[in-house]
Amino acid sequence: MIKFINVNKKFSDACIPLKNINLEISRGEVVVICGPSGAGKSTLIRVINKLETIDSGEIIVDGMHLSDPKTNLTALRAETGMVFQQLNLYPHKTALKNIMLAPMKVRKLPMKEAEEKAMKLLEKVGLAHKYNSYPSQLSGGEQQRVAIARSLAMEPKIMLFDEPTSALDPELINEVLDVMISLAEEGMTMIVVTHEMAFAQRVASRVVFMDFGEILEIGKTPDIFVDPQHYRTKEFMSNILHAPVFCYNEPQKK
Amino acid sequence: MVTGVKITLLLLVVTSITSLCLGTVIAIMRMSRIRTLRFFGKLYVEIFRNIPGLFWLLFFYFVFPELLPYGLGNKLNAYENYPIVAAIMGLTVDNASYVSDILRSGRLAIPDSQREVAISTGLNRVQQYLHVLLPQMFRAILPPLGTRMVHNFKNTSLCMAITVPELTWATQQIESLTFRGLEATTIATVFYIALSLFMVAVIIMLEKYYKISISSMTQAKGR
Repeated sequence: MIKFINVNKKFSDACIPLKNINLEISRGEVVVICGPSGAGKSTLIRVINKLETIDSGEIIVDGMHLSDPKTNLTALRAETGMVFQQLNLYPHKTALKNIMLAPMKVRKLPMKEAEEKAMKLLEKVGLAHKYNSYPSQLSGGEQQRVAIARSLAMEPKIMLFDEPTSALDPELINEVLDVMISLAEEGMTMIVVTHEMAFAQRVASRVVFMDFGEILEIGKTPDIFVDPQHYRTKEFMSNILHAPVFCYNEPQKK
Repeated sequence: MVTGVKITLLLLVVTSITSLCLGTVIAIMRMSRIRTLRFFGKLYVEIFRNIPGLFWLLFFYFVFPELLPYGLGNKLNAYENYPIVAAIMGLTVDNASYVSDILRSGRLAIPDSQREVAISTGLNRVQQYLHVLLPQMFRAILPPLGTRMVHNFKNTSLCMAITVPELTWATQQIESLTFRGLEATTIATVFYIALSLFMVAVIIMLEKYYKISISSMTQAKGR
């Protein structure tokens, strides 16, 4: 579905470089990318829908070669939905209109159909009753759920999540993760940059650990937590999992 | 006097539109990817914003026809409405330099993530601007743009210096011909104040109308 072949990206002022990325993600797979900040996680998923360009190598997304100038960028971006870290619903539009915009303009759906579809998606993320609210009237978690619905409205084959919960209050994180988990269970191909390890354990088939713009380790889900190979992964996992405290407070809850 | 009001309104409406158009072009130049365009955009703003509007009126009235080829310049000088044309050009180039900066600040006020999310859902450049960026820009720049238009309205009185028969000129004429300066000036004052206040009221109404969206913008930026 997505294939990175020797992808390199040189350093530029806006962007963290990538070094020799080789990664293949198959249909229906959920891959979690983790690593310290500045590791190139966001860059890695931003190159997939060409928000950033790469310097060498090749990325193939659902048969489309990204370095080929003939590749239809609109088609590519319609296939890959993306949810960002920042809360970025269009502030001048209601939740419903936020979702309807792209299907109407890019897919040329008639108003009526777009509206029905948007309502269905809002129901799916549990916000049908808020269809007429402006983003300012929604909580951070609700905004992020509408943002997920907005990406889904283009019926993408792949969903990219760039730390969707890290701008949220801790209390609001779970409602967003629940939506993502149900998506994963429906068989959506997902690449998720996140530090929510409970989420990774539950739905991810593989976890990619990155640092310095390189993939240091790719592991199947339980293994990479229990028995990381690379010393950086070991360090990172022990730092973010807070193992002793975790066990003391919630013995074996997961 | 009535003609004066008409000419003033004409100047206001025409220069507001032309300066908005010219200002948009300059703003686009200043945010262009091409270095030369950026340079000339910046040059334009610095030149026209740092020289008084009255100077530009005089320039277009006296100097501009002489810069043109001889025949064309003479024709312009002979054209009876040329003062009005010169006034429109002078006010436009002056006001456009401010307008372009207001537009640019409006564009910069929108977080880049808005554009990115529009791209990632497949909208093309025109659609990004039409449906995502311009509506937000409009809300952000409404107060400064409105103030600028009121300034522009007041600047129309400068056009009396190049014999445009607008309101202030008419007032002066009445004063010097009939010595009824008090009455004429009072009427002109009332008109200026009334129209300025009317413009401000319209701006405030528009701001109120779009209020929900403005408050949410500041929230979105706060993240």
